[in-house]
Amino acid sequence: MNLRYRCYLLLCVTALAACVSRPADVTSSPGRPDALLGTWVPDAAPRALLTSAGAQPPLSKDAAKTYTQRRQRLAAGDASFDPTTWCAGPGMPRILTMPNAFEIRRDGDRLAFIHDWYRWFRVVDLTPGEVEPPLPLTMGFPVGHWEANTLVIRTVGLIDATVMDASGMPHSEQLKLTERLRVLPDGRLEDRITVDDPETFTQPWETVLTFHRDGAAHVADDVCPDRIARGESAESVTALARTGGAVKKSAVPPPTPAADAKPLAASPMFSGIWEPKTFGFMVPDAPLSKAGQDIVDRNAEAMKGGHIMQTAWTSCRPGAVSTMTMPREKIVILTASDEITLLFEMPRMVRRIRLNASHPAKLEPGYVGDSIGHWEGGTLVVDTLGFNGYAELDARGQPTSAQLHTVERFTPSADGAGIDIETTVTDPEYYSKPFVIKRAWKRSAARHPFEYDCMENPRQEDFENAYYIRERYRPTCMRVEGEGAALSKVVCRKAEK
Amino acid sequence: MHSNLRFWSMVPPALAVCFFQVAAAHHSTAEFDYTKQVTIKGTVKEVQWTNPHSYIQLLTGEGADTVQWSVEIGSPSLNINMGWRKNSVKPGDVVTMNLSPARNGKPYGTLRVLTFADGQQLEGVAAKIKGFPAAPPTAPTAPPAPKGP
Repeated sequence: MNLRYRCYLLLCVTALAACVSRPADVTSSPGRPDALLGTWVPDAAPRALLTSAGAQPPLSKDAAKTYTQRRQRLAAGDASFDPTTWCAGPGMPRILTMPNAFEIRRDGDRLAFIHDWYRWFRVVDLTPGEVEPPLPLTMGFPVGHWEANTLVIRTVGLIDATVMDASGMPHSEQLKLTERLRVLPDGRLEDRITVDDPETFTQPWETVLTFHRDGAAHVADDVCPDRIARGESAESVTALARTGGAVKKSAVPPPTPAADAKPLAASPMFSGIWEPKTFGFMVPDAPLSKAGQDIVDRNAEAMKGGHIMQTAWTSCRPGAVSTMTMPREKIVILTASDEITLLFEMPRMVRRIRLNASHPAKLEPGYVGDSIGHWEGGTLVVDTLGFNGYAELDARGQPTSAQLHTVERFTPSADGAGIDIETTVTDPEYYSKPFVIKRAWKRSAARHPFEYDCMENPRQEDFENAYYIRERYRPTCMRVEGEGAALSKVVCRKAEK
Repeated sequence: MHSNLRFWSMVPPALAVCFFQVAAAHHSTAEFDYTKQVTIKGTVKEVQWTNPHSYIQLLTGEGADTVQWSVEIGSPSLNINMGWRKNSVKPGDVVTMNLSPARNGKPYGTLRVLTFADGQQLEGVAAKIKGFPAAPPTAPTAPPAPKGP
C-alpha cells in the first residue's frame, strides 16, 4: 500500500469516525447555532401581526369576523380576549410579539427560549423525528433542525385559547408554525415565521420579527400577579405604547462571574429532562422556632375550620423553595460552563445557578433568590440567598423568611439515571437550627416538558372560603361564571392604593 | 405522566386533601364532601379545559328552574392519562354526571363519573382516590337552589 493510498484511507476512516461519533453535533462549526445564543430584545413589538409584505393576514370569513369584533372591543378598552391580561400564558407566537427580552440557551440537542414574561419558556428538541402532541399547550411542542446557518423550528400542538397578537388575531388548534431563525449580517436576529392554519387562514402566510442584542437587558424573574397588584399592566405592550416604543430594560444589571472564575465543562450527568421520583408535599420534623410554630398552628386552625389555605404556590407566586421541596412533573436541566439552568414545569419557574461566581454585594430580595454553584467531585453544590420570604416549605404552610439560606447538593447516580438532592435549610427566624430535606429525581424519556399555566383559570370558587397566609396571596383576577347563556369571563381587581 | 395516575390511585383521602390543598394549586378537595354523591343530568354549556383544573358548566332543569352547575374535572394532563381528550365533552352535549358536591351547598362539585347519552363513560380524578370508590350513576336528583348573590 503506497503512502498516498494510506493517507487517503486514514482520511476516510477519520471522517467516518467523526460522523459516527458525533452525528447530531452540527453546532460546532464557526458562525453556526451558537451565534443565536444570548439575550435578545425585540426591534418592535407589533401589536398586530402583518405579513412580511406588510399586508393583512389572509383570514377566513369566520376568523375575520372574530378578529373585527375583538378589535372593536379593544378600541373600547376591553382586551379580555387576551389571556395575558390576567397573567395566563401568551403562547406562540404571541410571546414573541411582546416587548420583553428573551434568552436562547443551548445544551446539546436541546434549545431553550427563556422569556422575560412570567417565567415562561419553551424547549426545542433538536433530535430527528416529528412529535405527536398528546394535548395542546400554549407553547406547543417545538422540534428543530439546522439548515446551514438557519435554525428551523416546527411547532404543533398549540392551544386555541391564546391569541396570535395583542390585537386579538385568532388561531385554531390546527395552527402549525415554522420558524426560520438566523443572525443577519448586521447582528440582529431574524425570526421568519410561516403560519399555517387552514381553519383560520385561507392560505399559509409569513411574518418576520427581528431582535437585537442589548447589553443592559437580561431575563429576570417576572411575577405577573405582582405587577397587577401594583397597578401595572399584565401585558406590557400597553407600557410599550406609553413609552413610545422603548423596550423594557432591567434596572438591575446581570450579575457577573467572579474574577477568578474558571471555565468548567458541562456535565452530561445533569443535562436532560427529569421528574421527581416521588412527590414530597410535606416536610416532616422541621425544627420550628416558636414564631414558626405559631404560624403553622394558625394555619392548621384555619384548615380545621374548613378554610382553604392560600399559599405562595396556590397564588401562582411560588419561590425557589417550592422547587426544592415540592416539584412536580418535568424538570429540564441545561448545563453550560457558566450556568446550570433549571426549568421547572410545576411550579413553572426558571432557576439559574451561576457557576464559580459570587453573590452580589447588594442582593435584591426575590422569589428565586440568587444561586451560585460549584462542583465538589461529581456533586453540584448550590448556595442560594436573597429570598423575599414569600414561600412556604410544604402543604402545612411552614414559613420562610428573608433570612432563608439554602445549600443544595445535587449528586447524580453512577449510571446517570437519577439525581439525589439534599437541601440544607437555614432560617433562624422560623427554625431553631439548620435541617436537611432529601429529594430524588429520575431521568425522563420525554422530549418536551408539558406546561403548567397556574393563572389560566382562577375560578371564583377557589377563593370563596380562603385563608390567606399572607396578604400578598390574595387573588388579582378571578373567573366569574356567566348567568344563563352568558359565558364566563375573568375579571381583575384594581390595584389597592 | 402515567406515574401520576398510579400516584393518585394510591393517595389516601386524608393525604389527598393536603395534596390538593397546595400541590394542585388553586383548588382544594376540602371544598368537597367525599362522603356524599349527587347525580345530575343536563346540557353542557361550557368546557374550561384549563389549569390548574378543568371545569364543565352544566345547565340542569328548564326555564326558571335552570341551574348552572360547576363541575371540576381535574387538570388537562391528568385527564389525558385517564382517557380524556380536549373535545371529549363539547358544549351542547347532554350528559349525566355523578359527583361529590361542594360542602357549601352550592351547585358545585368534583366529578366522579360522566355518562354520555349512549352509555359511554369518562371518570374524574375523584373516582381514583383510594377509599372513595366510584358509585354507578343513579337517577338524577333534584338540584339545590340556584347560587345566591
